[in-house]
Amino acid sequence: MATKRDMIVRPAHDLGGLPAGPVVPSDHEMTPFEKSCHALLNVLAAHKLVNTEEKRRGVEDLGAEIIGELTYYERWAVSASKVLIEKGVITSEELGARMNEIRDRLTKAAA
Amino acid sequence: MTNAHETGTVDHGDHTHGTPGAPDPHAPIETAAEEPDYFDVLHQAIRELLVDKGLITADEVRAMVETLDAHRPALGSALVARAWTDPDFKERLLADGTAAIEEFGIDNYDGTRLIVLEQTPEVHNLVVCTLCSCYPRPVLGLPPDWYKSRPYRARAVREPRALLREFGTDVPQDVTIRVHDSNANMRYLVLPMRPAGTEGLSEEELAALVTRDTMIGVTTPRSP
Amino acid sequence: MSTRFVPDQRVRIADRDAPGHVRTPVYVRGKEGRIERVLPRFLNPEREAYGVNEGGEVRLYRVRIEQSALWPDYDGPADDVLELEIYEHWLEQVDDRSGAEGR
Repeated sequence: MATKRDMIVRPAHDLGGLPAGPVVPSDHEMTPFEKSCHALLNVLAAHKLVNTEEKRRGVEDLGAEIIGELTYYERWAVSASKVLIEKGVITSEELGARMNEIRDRLTKAAA
Repeated sequence: MTNAHETGTVDHGDHTHGTPGAPDPHAPIETAAEEPDYFDVLHQAIRELLVDKGLITADEVRAMVETLDAHRPALGSALVARAWTDPDFKERLLADGTAAIEEFGIDNYDGTRLIVLEQTPEVHNLVVCTLCSCYPRPVLGLPPDWYKSRPYRARAVREPRALLREFGTDVPQDVTIRVHDSNANMRYLVLPMRPAGTEGLSEEELAALVTRDTMIGVTTPRSP
Repeated sequence: MSTRFVPDQRVRIADRDAPGHVRTPVYVRGKEGRIERVLPRFLNPEREAYGVNEGGEVRLYRVRIEQSALWPDYDGPADDVLELEIYEHWLEQVDDRSGAEGR
């Protein structure tokens, strides 16, 4: 059982040497969301809006449980949103409002 | 680290689910009007807001998708075949990987620096990123899921020989294994050994022997 | 180009807590190895992770560590090694003459 200290000292992304099972030689074709999310994060890094280290730090700060459940690009999207809000590039309010607009748009388009 | 990953988990390669026996979270949703995916909506909202603010353009994102599509392991395979047939190029590739791939016409689009590691009869190189998923994307494209998975990242540095055997690669005891943890700024490409019996092959035929996995160091090219 | 550490020099990777974002994995902290090569200077990722995009560049090195020094129960050949990149502020000098055995 990990102690409270271990949970801080050994962040969830630092895996070197830990026990683990066999490697499953898995792969999958990128989904449109994954490709688009990857491209977005590359563009954000090029403009130093969310640099690569900020993106990684944002993922690490999600904590072990969320890192374990979210897929790779879901973590990137959440990390980017948190870093951008923290830096004052966007506000939580405008991001939330825009998400509602997009959801309405997508739902109408699907109907 | 919690123990959530160690037992009773469903491993999807790049993430796991911690509740044994629970329904597969990726099973299709049965309801007729499917709610748009939260994370898809989130990333679209970020993109739209930043475009509206004039901080990025939609064209940049579209162009980056095309760049990602254009970078495939075939680039690395062609690079290796050239190194096998042109000793001067091989020398330049080993001396300065970044300059040599640009000379070869590969767009080093992410601005990272490349170190090329030569497999020899004495040394077998293996590349891993224990902290995330660092990978030579300009030459190999995006990493496979297993490269980003917990078992690969955890075990490559600690038991490389056992791990390589799982990939069907038995490295003899008199061959040194060098594991490279791609943990910071450099990126690594393995230059495999040219198999015996390939003297008459063209560069294109040679490239076909060079799979992605041989350039990560988990397998070796097979003789044709 | 003068650098604090030179190729083949024996070094120890600092064994210290890192409450923020760092690129020095836990499994190498406190371990000894040798400088494999000197790399350029880069932005310090420990500041870059918090939005510092210029200034304060730090020297990066590749360090070669024997597997047996990392894992006491390593069962492969004694020549097997691991190499990784370590920033200068994580490296400490080791007195070569006193020998580094047993660490």
